Amino acid sequence: MPPRLLRLSLHFLSARPAARLTRTTPHYPPRPIPTSTSSPRAYHAYDRPTPPPYPPTETAILTAALGRVPAHGFSKTALALGARDAGYLPVSTNLFPAGEMELVKFWCTKARLGLGGTVEKEGLPEGGVRGRVKELVRRRLRMNVEGGVVGRWGEAIALMAHPTYAPTALAELSRLADEILFLAGDASLDSAWYAKRAALAGVYAAAETFQTQDTSPGCVDTERFARERLGDVESLGKAFGDVGEWVEFTVHGVLNGLRSKGVRL
Amino acid sequence: MPPSHQLAILSRRSFHSHRLVSSRPVPLAKYDVNSLRRVSSAAAAQPQYAQNVLAAGGKSALTPSPLSDEQKRFLDSALRVNQAGELAAVLIYSAQTPPIVRTHPHLLQLMKHMYDQEAGHYKTFNEILVKHRVRPTVMYPLWKAAATTLGWSTAVMGREAAMACTEAVETEIGDHYNSQIRVLLDWAADLEAKGEDFGPEMKELLATLRRIRDEELEHLDHAVMNDAKEAKPYELLTNVIRGGCRAAIWISERV
Repeated sequence: MPPRLLRLSLHFLSARPAARLTRTTPHYPPRPIPTSTSSPRAYHAYDRPTPPPYPPTETAILTAALGRVPAHGFSKTALALGARDAGYLPVSTNLFPAGEMELVKFWCTKARLGLGGTVEKEGLPEGGVRGRVKELVRRRLRMNVEGGVVGRWGEAIALMAHPTYAPTALAELSRLADEILFLAGDASLDSAWYAKRAALAGVYAAAETFQTQDTSPGCVDTERFARERLGDVESLGKAFGDVGEWVEFTVHGVLNGLRSKGVRL
Repeated sequence: MPPSHQLAILSRRSFHSHRLVSSRPVPLAKYDVNSLRRVSSAAAAQPQYAQNVLAAGGKSALTPSPLSDEQKRFLDSALRVNQAGELAAVLIYSAQTPPIVRTHPHLLQLMKHMYDQEAGHYKTFNEILVKHRVRPTVMYPLWKAAATTLGWSTAVMGREAAMACTEAVETEIGDHYNSQIRVLLDWAADLEAKGEDFGPEMKELLATLRRIRDEELEHLDHAVMNDAKEAKPYELLTNVIRGGCRAAIWISERV
């Protein structure tokens, strides 16, 4: 065996057992336990309480820091000032190893969970999942305006595009798409489940980027932009479903035709 | 009988002394006075329970604790597998029916009965997935194709092969449901030890799983009664199908 291959196989032999040792407790299925404080998207229970996404201290500091965002942006300064406002030492920002990204994530989580609250308070328009999705996207974009973060959202997008934070940002985006489709009452359960979430996430990300450049009062241009893009997605999703239905129908037709000719199928 | 219950009965007798002559057993929970007394004695025995009653203003007897992340993940993957499995079962039976009924018309009733039950299970799990926000498996289109192929090819091989396929699939599925039921019963026992209630959702899920498991095992019996064991390469066929089922379960649990 050439020495390089030998070294490589030795490397594998030495690395493997260590990796196995870390998995001594059998959990089901064996997935890594998420390090983030927000619970993963999994089984949603109705008769059991859902723990809040952040512990009380973190919530207090981050909420206060959000108040500093319009003046100081999504920055370490805003975090430190937030800690002081909440009555903690500025060094408490050590609670957040991700720094300013934690502030971005906190805003996203807060706004996402706030959507359910708006549904409880204001209800949702009648007339199908489509209309409700449009309304929920409008409300979520409006939150950026009302929360005062829209002027600084460009900084947040720059942070989220950073390779270190991109996975967190994408996960949060997919949670938002899931939340919107769930609240809208979407019941698709095949590949359409994924297609719809991906398409909605894409539209929402585009709309938020548009919003950072929007100078219209109350960002009404962004709302129109999102509405139009969502219209495009609908026709795409419909085409997707139609093709699948056509294929199934044709296959059934051909099979039944052959059976009627006496072919043993 | 625990002393608290004896006390409750004694005190009721002092309230309604005419009941003393009746030899019929008196339902304990019939009177408000007594049922309240029972709650308070249970609360005295279990501090956690008492705290919960106090926290809920004495109205509801339970404040259940949240599901752990591990429990959520278990339910997530288990329900995803169940839905994929029922989808496959529906497709297997619907692909088997035409070739089987052509050669053995008397099996029409049985095939229809099994198909209808599987369609009911599929609908049940679809509703559960949407309600509890469990994502469907990524392999959905692949399982559709695989299940249809399996059903059709075993049916073309003959009645015995089709029944052997049913036997193999339902054996795996029955085992799978049994392991889920065991896990849920463990959780229920843990909660009971802590003095908490299992909650209506979990109880309903447990009942649904038991009902569906029993129906799947009934299909297994039908298959064996219809000469599943006579299938020609019986060992090979059932082992290949069971291996395939286990692989599909393993994959669907993850993606």
